[in-house]
Amino acid sequence: MKNLLRSLTAIALATSGLLVAVALPASATTKTKIVTCFRLEKNVVHTAKFHGSCRAGWSKKRPKPAPVADDSVETPGTASLTETGSTLLYPLWNIWAPAYQSEFPQVSVTTGSTGSGTGIADAASGTVNIGSSDAYLSSTQLTSTPNLLNIPLAISYQMIEYNIPGVTAHLKLNGTIVSQIYQGQITNWNDSAIAALNPGVNLPNLKIVALHRSDGSGDTFIFSQYLTDSDPTWSSKYSYGTTISWPTISNALGENGNGGMVSGCAATAGCIAYVGISYLTSVLGDGQTYAQLENGNGQYELPTPATASAEAAGFTAKTPANGTISMVDGKVSGGYPIVNYEYAIVNKAQSSSTTAKAIRSLLEWAIDPSYGQSSQYLGQVRFDPLPVKIVTQSYKQIKEIQ
Amino acid sequence: MASSAALPATYPTRRASGLRRVGYVVRGSEEGLWRWSARIASLIPVVGLVFVLTVLAVKAWPAIKVNGPGFLSRSTWNPGSTYGAAVRTNGVLHPVGASYGAWPLIAGTLQTSAIALLVALPISLGTAFALTERLPRWLSRPISFFVEILAGIPSVIIGLWGVLTLGPLLANHVYPFFANNIPNVPVLRYFKGSVGYGEGLLTSGLVLGLMIVPIIASTARDLFMQVPPLPKEGAEALGMTEAEVARRVTIPWVRSGLIGATVLGLGRALGETIAVAMVSGSVLGTVSPNIYGTMTTIAATIVSQLDSAATDGTGFAVATLAEVGLVLAVISVVVNVVARVIVNRTSRHLAPVGRG
Amino acid sequence: MATMIDGYPSTRPRRVREFFFKGMSLAALIFVVGPSVWLIADVVVRAVPHWQWSVLTTTPVGVGGGLENAILGTLVIMVGVLIIAGSIGVLTGIHFAELQRPRRSGKAGGNFLRTSTEVLAGFPSIVLGYVGYVALCVGLHWGFSLLPALIVLSIMVTPYIAKSTESALRQVPTNYREGAEALGMATGYALRKVVIKSALPGIVTGLLIALAIAVGETAPLLYTAGITNSLPTTSLIHQPIAYLTYYVWTDYNQPIKATQYLSFDAALILIVLVLVLLVSSRLLVNRTQRYVEGPR
Repeated sequence: MKNLLRSLTAIALATSGLLVAVALPASATTKTKIVTCFRLEKNVVHTAKFHGSCRAGWSKKRPKPAPVADDSVETPGTASLTETGSTLLYPLWNIWAPAYQSEFPQVSVTTGSTGSGTGIADAASGTVNIGSSDAYLSSTQLTSTPNLLNIPLAISYQMIEYNIPGVTAHLKLNGTIVSQIYQGQITNWNDSAIAALNPGVNLPNLKIVALHRSDGSGDTFIFSQYLTDSDPTWSSKYSYGTTISWPTISNALGENGNGGMVSGCAATAGCIAYVGISYLTSVLGDGQTYAQLENGNGQYELPTPATASAEAAGFTAKTPANGTISMVDGKVSGGYPIVNYEYAIVNKAQSSSTTAKAIRSLLEWAIDPSYGQSSQYLGQVRFDPLPVKIVTQSYKQIKEIQ
Repeated sequence: MASSAALPATYPTRRASGLRRVGYVVRGSEEGLWRWSARIASLIPVVGLVFVLTVLAVKAWPAIKVNGPGFLSRSTWNPGSTYGAAVRTNGVLHPVGASYGAWPLIAGTLQTSAIALLVALPISLGTAFALTERLPRWLSRPISFFVEILAGIPSVIIGLWGVLTLGPLLANHVYPFFANNIPNVPVLRYFKGSVGYGEGLLTSGLVLGLMIVPIIASTARDLFMQVPPLPKEGAEALGMTEAEVARRVTIPWVRSGLIGATVLGLGRALGETIAVAMVSGSVLGTVSPNIYGTMTTIAATIVSQLDSAATDGTGFAVATLAEVGLVLAVISVVVNVVARVIVNRTSRHLAPVGRG
Repeated sequence: MATMIDGYPSTRPRRVREFFFKGMSLAALIFVVGPSVWLIADVVVRAVPHWQWSVLTTTPVGVGGGLENAILGTLVIMVGVLIIAGSIGVLTGIHFAELQRPRRSGKAGGNFLRTSTEVLAGFPSIVLGYVGYVALCVGLHWGFSLLPALIVLSIMVTPYIAKSTESALRQVPTNYREGAEALGMATGYALRKVVIKSALPGIVTGLLIALAIAVGETAPLLYTAGITNSLPTTSLIHQPIAYLTYYVWTDYNQPIKATQYLSFDAALILIVLVLVLLVSSRLLVNRTQRYVEGPR
C-alpha cells in the first residue's frame, strides 16, 4: 500500500512536471506580431493594436496634439512605483498604468484597491508612493503630515444602486429619503415616501438592506457629505468622513471596497448601495440598476458624464490651488449632486529624486489632455476630464514633489 | 558530560601534533558552540513575545487613557468627526465625538468560540475514537491524513469556501428550516428571525469549529493511543460495551490532556482572523440579535478596520485598535498558558499538527 | 450492570448507547473527511474552468493577468522562513530536549521558556502583523518589504518547529546517547553525529508543516509585505513583495470576473503547494516509523 502510494505520487509529479515543461514554452510564444498604432482625432490621441501592420488612417508614429496648457510630461529614470487607495479610481489606474508603462517601460507601476483611507494613510507613512482618494485631506491629517498634497486627477461621481427584483426603472430618490433609509426610518421599498416620488413604479413589499463600506472609503466620504447636506438630523448625528459611525439598524451590511458593494448587493435582494460610477458595467451586468437623484433644484438627474461635468463646472472657479473642495450637492442646475475630484495623495518630500521624478512623470501623464485625460481612458470608466484651469493647478502641485 | 572533554581517556595519551590538536580543540569548543547557540536561540521566542506585548501596550496607552475602563462594556464604535476639529482629553489628541467600546467585539469573539467548541468537541472526540479504536490500521492512516489536510489548509481558503459556498447554502436551505420550525419561546427565540444571506454568527462559529477540529482531534488521537491496553481489556472482560469502556476508562485516563487540547483549540478560535473576517459580516457597534445575524470579532475588526483607522490624523483610532489587540493578546496568552500547564502535566509526546 | 450475553449487551439502553457511540464516531469521520474534500473540490471547481497556464508565467496586468509575482514571492518567503525560523526553531528544540540542565525534582528544566514559546504558538496573527507594521515598517522606516514579513512569520512559526524538533529528539532512544557517551564523544559531537541524524526525519517533518502554515498566512503579510506586481528582487527592505494569499483575500468578491478568477487561481496554487508539503511530510513520517523503536 505504502509503495503503491509512493509510486503513484512519483508518477503524478513526473507527469505534472512534463506537462508544465511542455506547456510553458507553448504559452510563451506569440503567433503574429501585434503593433500599436496611433491616430489624432479632435486633438486627442487614440491608440489601437493591430495584427501585422497599421490600418489606413493610423500610423506607427505617435502624433503630437496641439498643446492645451503649458505642461509637458517628464521622462523618468528606472523606478518602481506603488499606488493604492480608492476603489473608485482603481479601474482607471488599471487602464492608465499599462498605457503609461507602454510609453515608459522603465517605470513599473503597481496598483492597489485598498480604499481611500489606506491610500491616504500609506502615502502619509511613506509605505506607498501615490495614494488615491476620493476624499481630500482633513485638517488633522495635514497637521500630522504637513507635506501631503492632494492633487485632482479626474472628475468622478457616485451612483446609488439597488437590487429590487422586477424593478428596472431608475427610481427617483432624494437625500432625505436615502438618509432615512440608512437611519432605519424607512425599512421597506414600498414605503409611502418612495412611492410618492415614483408614482408609475410597482414597488414590491421588500425589506431594504442598506449596504455601507466597512473600510475607510472616499465613497463613504462623498456619500455622507450628500446626506449631511440633505438631512440636518444626519448632519448632527453622523456627519461625514471616510469612516463614520453608521446608525445601528437591523438590516445593514458592511462590505469591503466598491467591488464588495456590487457583489454584495447582487447577492442581497432589496439592497441599496452607494457605488462609484466606474463600476457601472458590473452593476448593470448583475441585473441591478441605479437611481435618479434630486439635485437641490427640484430636478432629478441620472449619473452621466454630462450631468457630472455640469455640476463640476459650477465649482471650477471656486477650486483653490491645493485642490481641496467638495463638489457634493452644489445645487447647480442640470447637475448631478454627488460629484468629486479624484485625488492623488502624494508626499512632497520623496526619499529619492529618481522616485520623485517618476511620480511627477506619471501624474503629469495622467492629467495631460492628450494622454491620461483622453476619452479612450476616461471614457471606459465614464469619468470627466479636468477643466483646463484645474489641469494647470494640478500641474503646479505636481511640480512641488521633490 | 564533561564540559571540555577534548581528550577522553580512550584517545592516545602522547601529545598530538599540529592539525590534530586543532581538531581536538575545535571539537571541544563545538560543545560550547552548541550550548550557547541553542541557549540564545531559545531566548528569541521569549524576547519576541515580550517585544510584541510591549509595543502593543505602548501604542495602546493613549487610547487606554481616554477610553477608560468602560471600554470593555461600551457598545459604540464612533470614530468621531475626522474632518472636524481635534480635541484633547487627558492629554491625548482625538477627533471630537470619538467614542469606542469593545463589548460587541468581545461578545462576538466569545460567542463564535463557544459555538466552535460545541461543534468541534464531539467531532474531534468521535474522530479520535474512530481512528484509534474502530478502524483498521491500514484505513486509519490515510484518514488521519485528512485531519492534517484540514489543519494545513490556509484559513483564507476556508473563509473563501465559507463565504461563497457554505454560507449561502446554509442560509438558503438549512437556517430557514430551523428559523421557521422552532417554537416561539423566550430562550429559543434566539434561533428565529432573519436568516440573512450566509454571513453571520452561526456560520462563523461552524467554520471556526471546523478549523479547530484538527487540533483537538490529533491531540486526542495521540492521547488515546497512549492509554495502556490492559485497563481497557479488563473492562471489556468485565462485560462493558465499547461505549462504556470509552466513557469510564479511556476518557478519565486522559481527561486533563483532553481539557488541555480543548483549551488549545479555544485559544486558536479566539485569535482566528481572516476566515472570520470573511464570514462574519463585519458589522461594528452591535451584538447580533439572533444566532444568524452579522457580527464581528476582535481579530476580524482589527484586520478590517486598521486601514480606515489610519485615516484618523490624530492617531487615536489606531491606538484604540492597538488597545483592542492588547485585550486579545492578553486573553490569548492567559488561555494558552492555562492550556500548556494542563497539557504538559499529563502527556509527553505531542505530534505538532495544526496551529494548536 | 455490566453483563453481556454472548457478547451482546443485555439491556436495551446499553444497546442503544453502544449503537449511538459506534455510529457517532463514524459519523464524526464524515465531518472531517467531507469538508476537507468539499473544500478542495470547491476551489478546484471554481478555478479549473477558467485556468490558463499563462497564470504561472505572467504578472498581474490591469484587472487580470497572472500570478507569477505571487508564486515566486511565496516561494521566496518560504525559503526565508525556512532559513530564519528553521535555524532558530531547531536550535531551540535542541536546547529544550538535550541541553537544559534538569531540575532537582527530576523533571525537565526550563518550564518558563518552554511555556512562553508555546504561548507564542497560539498568538493571534493579526496582532503580530500589526506590531510588525508599527515597529518595523513604519518605526524603522523599512516600508513594506521582505524582511519585516520574514521576521513576523518566523516569530509565528518558530514555536511549531521547536516543538516538533524537541518531540523528534525525545524519541531517539536513550541507548544511542548512552552508546555515544560510552565511546567518549562530547555532547555536541554526539548531537551532530548521532542524535540529530536519527531525529532528522522528524525535524524535517516539523519544518515542512511549519512551512505549510507560513505559506497560508494572510493577516501578518498584509501589513508587512505590502503588494507589488513585479517579481521579487534581492532587496530585503524598501521593496514590497507579492504573495498568493493576498489575491485570495482581496479579489474573491470582485464584480469584474477576470479579477475574481485570479483569486480562485491563487487559491488553487496555494492548495497544491500545501498538499505537496503535507504529502512529503507524511511520506517522511511513514519512513521514520519503520525504523524507530519505542512507542508511537
